[in-house]
Amino acid sequence: MKHLLIKDIINSELAVSTENGEKVFEVVDFYLQKKEKVELDFSGITIMITAFLNAAIGKLYGKKEYTPEFLNEYLKLENVEKEDRSLFKDVIQRAKEYFANKEDFEKNSNNAIYGDD
Amino acid sequence: MVITIPNDIKSEFEGYDYIITWINKYKDVKNTEIIFDFSRVTFLEANLCALIGTIFEIIETGKNKISLQNIKPQVEIILRKNEFLIPFGFSKILDNNGTVLIYKKFTPNDDLGFNNYITTQLLKKPQFPSHSDKLGKEITRNIFEIYENARTHGQCDFIHTCGQFYPKKPDKPLHFTIVDKGVNIKQNVSAFFNIDLNAADAIDWAMKKGNTTKTGDTSGGLGLAVIFEFIKLNKGKIQVISSDGFYEYKNGNVTKKRLGSIFEGTIVNIKFNLNDLNHYSLGNEDEYFENIF
Repeated sequence: MKHLLIKDIINSELAVSTENGEKVFEVVDFYLQKKEKVELDFSGITIMITAFLNAAIGKLYGKKEYTPEFLNEYLKLENVEKEDRSLFKDVIQRAKEYFANKEDFEKNSNNAIYGDD
Repeated sequence: MVITIPNDIKSEFEGYDYIITWINKYKDVKNTEIIFDFSRVTFLEANLCALIGTIFEIIETGKNKISLQNIKPQVEIILRKNEFLIPFGFSKILDNNGTVLIYKKFTPNDDLGFNNYITTQLLKKPQFPSHSDKLGKEITRNIFEIYENARTHGQCDFIHTCGQFYPKKPDKPLHFTIVDKGVNIKQNVSAFFNIDLNAADAIDWAMKKGNTTKTGDTSGGLGLAVIFEFIKLNKGKIQVISSDGFYEYKNGNVTKKRLGSIFEGTIVNIKFNLNDLNHYSLGNEDEYFENIF
């Protein structure tokens, strides 16, 4: 089990930029690729925005091997302030829709170019 | 060339329409000494400095030299407190009331600078709801969402910000303005759909949850919607001006109008209501957080 402190990864109490969200994604992805369980610890984070979470968490749904079942088993979110929790729900729901649509969009584009049979 | 600034430009449709028409009149002037005459100005909404700073950025692009004259003492005090006049040779006046968020411009990659600005100018102010208060946290979150939106979508050289508290008014408003001179929302949304959209409708579209022009390997489409939902709860006001679109939400109503000319960028002006007794418990916060994926 790998314990990752967000505050240390981004060197800030403010989780407010896409770039810092990507730093977190890279580290989480590194351990998940090795099938190592990750505890992602948000303690000490005072402000968090959707742009950060889209990159840190939402981007995980862009990888097919990270199914919801896999993520529920391998990724634990810790010390998320109660008032921030609804943001996670929005970001996760949005990422699921986005990547599902993206796949459809790319499939349709390929079909339009190459035919679907 | 002397340009006389009219008195009492307000952050309302007419005020923006006036300023943007005026920018377009002078934006092609080059290599000229331009003097802004403030003799008629007896009051200036301090947060509009973010827009005036953007105008100066546009004018300076044409290698013009800007100077200011005839600033009335009461206006000068505000503009020295919020540091707008510092580049013009004026010294700073300390803001003893703690009501000013200084005027500042940031490059889009200076997120540390912006973080520092928000910490010193907002979070540490006695007028601001204390950090443990959810209202303060929500306001800060929303300001970062606007900033990130300008950085991500504007492709601009600078992001200009300014703000002002009015603690003596009943709703204790905090006015905060962010302006960027970059790609406007109409251009982004029209390019996304490959059709020429009305600018106010493009802004309206961008305010809705899930709508985004972002493509690639990161999802988007929540930032402006989160702000919009908060402003509704907070009974505040949001104005977004981009291209020739004017969009405003206040008192439960959306107003969309077309400006007389095009602003090559985006203005976001927000009034937060600090005298807000909502608790922002956000309904489902106690929900089980396991198996969230």
